[in-house]
Amino acid sequence: MTRWRTYTDRLIVLAFILAAWQVGSVLVGPYWLSSPAAVAARFVVQILNGELIVQGGYTIEEALLGTVIGGVPAVLMPFLLRRHPVIVAILDPFMVGGYGAPKLAFAPLFILWFGIGIESKVALVASVVFFIVYFNTLSGVRALDPRLVQMAQIAGAGERHVARHIVFPAAVPHILAGFRIAVPYAIGGAIIAELISSNRGLGYLVQTGAMNFDTTSVFSAILAATLIVHAANWLLNGAERALLRWRPPPQVVLDTWT
Amino acid sequence: MSDTPLLEIRNLGKRFPTRQGREPSPWVIQELSFSVRAGEFLTIIGPSGAGKSTLLNMIAQIDTVSAGEIVFNGETVTSHDARTLRPGFDRRIGYVTQDDNLLPWRTTIDNVLFPIEVQGRLNAETRAHAEVLVRAVGLAGFERYYPHELSGGMRKRAALIRTLAYDPPVILMDEPFAAVDAQTRTQLQADLLTLWGLGRKTIIFVTHDITEAIALGDRALVLSRQPTRIAAEHAIPIPRPRNVQDIFALEGFAAVHQRIRSEIQ
Repeated sequence: MTRWRTYTDRLIVLAFILAAWQVGSVLVGPYWLSSPAAVAARFVVQILNGELIVQGGYTIEEALLGTVIGGVPAVLMPFLLRRHPVIVAILDPFMVGGYGAPKLAFAPLFILWFGIGIESKVALVASVVFFIVYFNTLSGVRALDPRLVQMAQIAGAGERHVARHIVFPAAVPHILAGFRIAVPYAIGGAIIAELISSNRGLGYLVQTGAMNFDTTSVFSAILAATLIVHAANWLLNGAERALLRWRPPPQVVLDTWT
Repeated sequence: MSDTPLLEIRNLGKRFPTRQGREPSPWVIQELSFSVRAGEFLTIIGPSGAGKSTLLNMIAQIDTVSAGEIVFNGETVTSHDARTLRPGFDRRIGYVTQDDNLLPWRTTIDNVLFPIEVQGRLNAETRAHAEVLVRAVGLAGFERYYPHELSGGMRKRAALIRTLAYDPPVILMDEPFAAVDAQTRTQLQADLLTLWGLGRKTIIFVTHDITEAIALGDRALVLSRQPTRIAAEHAIPIPRPRNVQDIFALEGFAAVHQRIRSEIQ
């Protein structure tokens, strides 16, 4: 029953947000702040005429490519460097620097280097995703329980068995957590790169909407981006449930206030 | 049971490395010697902090030896250097530790089969053998459960048969039943004796519980406090098969118990 309670309460919160938005729109005028009703109507129109599907698809493509190109080496590196802590230590300040550097500030450079096509957006997304996933995977590899490794070695497991049967499964929750953090950044990064220079994607819709003082169009594109992040999160939740069946179920906070 | 020792520990010593510039660290274990015959169930009793785990870690070769040697079947397998350690030296030493160390991402049966799998010996026969063991310790029906879904006693059983399933000639046990309640422990002891009766493995079982040492062993060694040495040795005159439940009532129990307790204090 708690589950339904959560859903109904969420609807109440949503209603409050929409009501506040509507009131604000009436107060300052739809020219400055579009109304939820207008955004919803525009959203439906843009879905039906395929505009949001095409532009959203383009943004998804950039985010997905960037996540793969940045994410795969970020997962592999900590595993390959597991037996070489010295290299990890040497790289550490550079990785921290790369993680901390404001990647969005690099967007103009990426456009300079890779052009205004998909390549520059993918590069930006990959640079954002890489560092987040790298540090999460690294912490997963480091959190390994040495007793499990000893057990396996005594049982006759070689280095490759240990890597495959102990180190990797133990790191999977950390890797998934990394992607969970990285994916919204990937979609946001793609959109911001499009904002700076592009003729396609949701960022382009935001940009043209703003230039034409059409706040409805801006909000419609933002709504689409939000829904994409939600969908990605939903997929990651599913992946987590399938891959981490072996974990004890977390103590769900929602269940404690019945 | 042959009389030639399968495993011999000769003048074994252990001291942990010191920090630079300090005087040498004290010996934790010194001049410790004993041997085990093939098929013997040897129990070692020692108070907490007596270096019991250190001793087993050295025999299992996950810790280096500072002095003395370990001889397995006539072959010296001692290592003073961490880089040349051969954990479990080629599957000849099994080790059931205090913690069950089950892999949380594997089900009961997959945990039991894990050593066999990494040894490349997974086939219908080894699988069937593992299933026999699963049934023998009452884990039938729980094969597809993950460790977090099992009780503490069940996890101990799974860890125990994981080592038995791949059949190493010598099995070390480091207080494997210390963390479970008394009732479960008695049941686990009975299970262990049943399993041992089936295969007659060579077992070195370390415990701080005198009753457990008597109930399980053919022979019991008593360790002294630091530096750890063998303080005494007792043959356990209680005939097998033994009923762990009423071990107190059996002839010979009280006398051995009395003597060991006086030696420990």
